[in-house]
Amino acid sequence: MVAAQGVYFAGLRLRSIAGIWFRHALVLRRTWLPSATWYFVEPFVILLGIGLGIGALVDDVDGVRYVRFVTPGIIIGSGMFHAIFECSWGSFFRIQKGVYETTLTAPVSTVEIALGDMSWAISRALITAVCIGAVAAILGWMDPVSGLGILVAATLTGMLFGAMGLVFAALSPNVHVLSLTFTVVASPLYFFSGAFFPISVLPDWIEPIAWAAPLTPCVHLARGFETGDLGMSHLLAALYIVALTAVLAPIASTLLHRRLIK
Amino acid sequence: MNGRSDPAVIRAAGLTKRFGDIVAVDDVSFEVRRGETFGLLGPNGAGKTTTMQLVSGLSPLTAGELTVAGIDVTRDARKVRNVLGVVTQQDGLDGDLHARDNLIVYGFVSGLSRGEAEKRADAVLMFFDLTDRANEEIDNLSGGMKRRLAITRALMTSPQVIVLDEPTTGLDPQGRNRVWQELDTMKQAGVTVLMSTHYMEEAAALCDRLAIMHDGRFLAEGTPDDLVSRHAGAEVAQVRVSNGSRREIVSWIASAGLDYRDAGAVITVTSPSGTRPDLSGLEGVRVSYRPANLEDVYLSMSGRTLADD
Repeated sequence: MVAAQGVYFAGLRLRSIAGIWFRHALVLRRTWLPSATWYFVEPFVILLGIGLGIGALVDDVDGVRYVRFVTPGIIIGSGMFHAIFECSWGSFFRIQKGVYETTLTAPVSTVEIALGDMSWAISRALITAVCIGAVAAILGWMDPVSGLGILVAATLTGMLFGAMGLVFAALSPNVHVLSLTFTVVASPLYFFSGAFFPISVLPDWIEPIAWAAPLTPCVHLARGFETGDLGMSHLLAALYIVALTAVLAPIASTLLHRRLIK
Repeated sequence: MNGRSDPAVIRAAGLTKRFGDIVAVDDVSFEVRRGETFGLLGPNGAGKTTTMQLVSGLSPLTAGELTVAGIDVTRDARKVRNVLGVVTQQDGLDGDLHARDNLIVYGFVSGLSRGEAEKRADAVLMFFDLTDRANEEIDNLSGGMKRRLAITRALMTSPQVIVLDEPTTGLDPQGRNRVWQELDTMKQAGVTVLMSTHYMEEAAALCDRLAIMHDGRFLAEGTPDDLVSRHAGAEVAQVRVSNGSRREIVSWIASAGLDYRDAGAVITVTSPSGTRPDLSGLEGVRVSYRPANLEDVYLSMSGRTLADD
């Protein structure tokens, strides 16, 4: 018995990508209880704290109730953390422990490993978005129908930060360097993405930097879906996210190849 | 090409791999026949692992020709990995999954359906007597069990060839015995194996044929018995020396026309004629005789012991 070669799309073996996604899903099924704190409890506590606390001080932002303003930001921020964590921390240890070396002994390519991890990063962003979104909707902090649009933004967020996480995983020689993914990249992005306050309140010189930072278009797009006030700026945000992903994903895949194939 | 009717499952000719200026594998040629266990014996750094990675389609060749089961590795490395089961030196088990799921994920990513993968996982776990460990955390398994599980994983797709990189390195004697047993069971079942090792006993016990590797090249190739009788003779003498008498003893052995290897406290002496070396004229030293083995072959050909790194 020789295992089937499988179905290909654009030179990619779909079973490889599905297999890696399946591996991640099995891990989640095994660890769902502790994982729930990540997917749900922690972002919910942030949402509740900020929503109730800051929300009590601030009436509305740009004509929107503060809790409705901040909800899409926290959903997308959580999506970013999930995607970047999976593909930096998670992938780094799979490289270190020889898990991907083993995966490659099956008929799998490094590109397919990268895409498999990215597909799971998207799934994680979606899972956390659904969890927090559902609670926010129940609290009346988010319109449930607009939540569907936020899922589109979460998908793009997962894709972009999955690719970015993989770049860090493939580049980092050790965990100390890897941890910069959070201290230097993810956390600053979170606070300057417009998730908690509009970019326009920042000093003039920071504003353009904040707009160019990769989480900002994700939050902007999600907020557009939430308020229903979609315009050209949201289309540009979506195109910017796709363009950044189109640059980062091939870099991630190339670096992963260099790391795994000698 | 019909891979099944070809007696050689692996054909390598002029296999070469360079990393920059370093030649890891230097113009190596060999064949592995269906159902046989072929071994690469040599110290660390001899090029064994690189050779196995080339054969597994995991590392591109610098030069040479290589077919596995009739598939040209230089053209379709991915397809080659479809007919191989590879156990890398690092077991590569996924600590986030328990034992059985490690197998299922590997089977699924290799192309089996989930149902097939589950059935096959249970079958191979039973074959290797690991059924009661199916739901164990990887971290709770001993080194020997991890290695056995990694070998089990390679069997998931019923591959035509199993590639085993140092199957018992780092295991305690018990673990090693157990892995040997399993490999023997596999061999009885007719599985073709390409393995590497730096343990002489392991090569002698498991390999039908082997190549002795040193600095990226094959020094000799043949059955273990053949290699020993050709290159080390029937028996070797071991002379215990102290530093004071070393020079004197060495010059006596040389003048007697015998080959010797100075390995520290013990000088190993072989006779070029393949007979028992006659050291009766040497006085005041402890001489013992033992049957020649593959270590002596390696020693006589490379001037170093297998333990040298």
